[in-house]
Amino acid sequence: MTDAPITTIPPDQSASDQKAKEAYFTASQSQLIWSRYRRNRTAMTAALVLLFLIMLGLFAPFLSPYNPSIAGRDPDYQNGAPQIPMFCDQNGCSWRPFLHTLERTRSMATNFRWVTKVNPDKRRYIHFLVEGWEYRVFDYDINLPGKALDFRTWGLAFNTHLFGADTGGVHIFGTDAGGKDIYSRTLHAIYTSLAVGTLGVLISFVLALVIGGISGYFGGWLDGLIQMITDAVRTIPIIPLFMAIAAFIPDEWSAETRFFFISIIIGFINWPTLARRVRTHLLTERTHEYVLAAQLCGASASHIIRRHLLPSFTSYIIVDLVISFPYIVLSETALSFIGLGLKDPVNSLGVMLQNVTSADVLLNYQWYFIPVIFFMALVLAFVFVGDGLRDAADPYAQRDK
Amino acid sequence: MARFVHFTSIRAVMALFTLLLVSLIVFTLMELVPGNCAERYLAFKNTQGSQISIADIKAEEIRLGLDKPFVQRWVTWVGNVFLHGEFGDSCILRVNINQLLGQKFLISLGICLTSLLLAYLIAIPVGIIAATSNNAWLNGSLRFISYLGLAMPNFLLALMIMLFSTVVFGDSLTGLFSKEFRDAPWSYDRVIDFLSRAWLPVFILGWSATAFALQTVRALMLDENGKLYVTAAKARGLYGRRLLWRYPARHALGPIINSLGFDLNRIFNELPIVALILTLTESGALLLEALARSNDQQLAGAIIFLLTASIVSLNFITDIALALIDPRVRRSVMG
Repeated sequence: MTDAPITTIPPDQSASDQKAKEAYFTASQSQLIWSRYRRNRTAMTAALVLLFLIMLGLFAPFLSPYNPSIAGRDPDYQNGAPQIPMFCDQNGCSWRPFLHTLERTRSMATNFRWVTKVNPDKRRYIHFLVEGWEYRVFDYDINLPGKALDFRTWGLAFNTHLFGADTGGVHIFGTDAGGKDIYSRTLHAIYTSLAVGTLGVLISFVLALVIGGISGYFGGWLDGLIQMITDAVRTIPIIPLFMAIAAFIPDEWSAETRFFFISIIIGFINWPTLARRVRTHLLTERTHEYVLAAQLCGASASHIIRRHLLPSFTSYIIVDLVISFPYIVLSETALSFIGLGLKDPVNSLGVMLQNVTSADVLLNYQWYFIPVIFFMALVLAFVFVGDGLRDAADPYAQRDK
Repeated sequence: MARFVHFTSIRAVMALFTLLLVSLIVFTLMELVPGNCAERYLAFKNTQGSQISIADIKAEEIRLGLDKPFVQRWVTWVGNVFLHGEFGDSCILRVNINQLLGQKFLISLGICLTSLLLAYLIAIPVGIIAATSNNAWLNGSLRFISYLGLAMPNFLLALMIMLFSTVVFGDSLTGLFSKEFRDAPWSYDRVIDFLSRAWLPVFILGWSATAFALQTVRALMLDENGKLYVTAAKARGLYGRRLLWRYPARHALGPIINSLGFDLNRIFNELPIVALILTLTESGALLLEALARSNDQQLAGAIIFLLTASIVSLNFITDIALALIDPRVRRSVMG
């Protein structure tokens, strides 16, 4: 009996096949999306980049050796080039990375101007988990007009940082004209831009669900009216709208309040696109039998929208949110770039981009451009993750592709 | 034919109503800008050495009609705009706005529309390839290049091209005209000169608008591709480009045409920043100047209104075009 029929499948393989099939048919929506998403290599790379950037932003105070505001400036190293820690120099190697000492001199030879010179014989060592400037986590102080919106939380104070030099400064991305560390500023800027984006997306999300939900569920003249208003809001260009509102912000508002206010505005302006999509989905869904069944059971409109209609396209809504995220980050950047958004004590990517607008910087201080690379990576990662999610959430996508 | 006229007139009335609503929003926004024209004018006089009192401001407000209630002022403004095409005088420059804007708005509109065209010229083929091709490399790199336009800040691209052309050609390519054509009347040479410079903002704006267009085209194509009528067409033996162009691409075209107006809006948002870097003398730069620097409500309001009016009319045109192309729309509107 050595030549068994070739057509029979070995029992263990068929069992595992069966299991895989069963897993596929019983998987939840999110499991299916994840399994499809995982197979998309471009999207996975983008997701990893995005995760890395988000981590950089979240742990910005820990990762950055200096305070990003003017308090953390290095007066001895202004417009300084990036300092790359090294392991070896002419005097041999060391396991601990080090930098060379900088000496500032002023003499007849330098025309009595301060000149910074590198002394390659003296070393400064980099230490890890050092104590440095104090930072607070979960510390917010929002003070908008109107008492209801004010809140203050006292966070926790820490002063441990990932790395620092034993003497002098270590500026791995260089410093700007004020001597502020560009590395520390970039990390904090990523955090701010992500936070503005998240807040803005959440606000526009809630507005879109409510307005789009009402418009799509009830239809008729109410839908017509809401659509007309939505279209009118969409017709007005965003930047002038921002500018008119931003001109309204009093100068005495604190950086945090301003930041909060701008997120709210961005949220209030970005809802129409999503609202329209929610409406279109609802218009097609509301004629289905399960809605009629719920209505006959006496469920209220808001209950039907929340419990029956919205869950039927949650994945689409999430995808739309991710897709709209880079555009919200971009609108914050544009606003800050014009000088009407966030201002200097708060770092956002827009504030950072503002610094590179001159040809002087392009020719002489190229390290100012390092934040631009992070900005581009952030936007690209978001766009590709959005595309990947869209494909994964599409139930009609061919499995073999 | 009668039904079509009926449909067109309904759309025209709706567009007019939207325009009125928009004009109200724009007018309210301009009211939000701190200060008013009278204060601004007298502040200017103050810098010229004359003493200004509160009574002077009040008198100037009455002269300009600023003491009247909000709704009345809005009706006057809208009436002037709709009936006479008059936007009044600029607050700061004290010049008639129509004269001030002149061809500048048309130039901006031309730049934006050309950029829109460029964006879709890239986005439609790339989007179709991205949605249907199995070549992961081609797909990924085409999308990467298109999205780079969105991720790369406009001003940076503008700066780099300017610097490059200064070094290589010895001309920074800034402005809209060469020195000798700046004030010349329109002629063949001037048009050529204009085109030799206008391609730069068009290229920058078009590239950055490509990303959104591409996402839309790709998503629509993917949605349509999975539908049963495509499978049915495949079953009948259609394949390749013939299949794509005859079925899913046609259906995907509808929503794209529908959103052209809002795409124009998005492009115009970017125009002021590019105009600022390239020192273009058109209305985008003027708008930024009016809003961010001088708080010139009248001028800013006029530019925003003109822009929204062109978006609304583009929406109207695309609605009609869609009805001509797609009989489903025509029927759905007329019941």
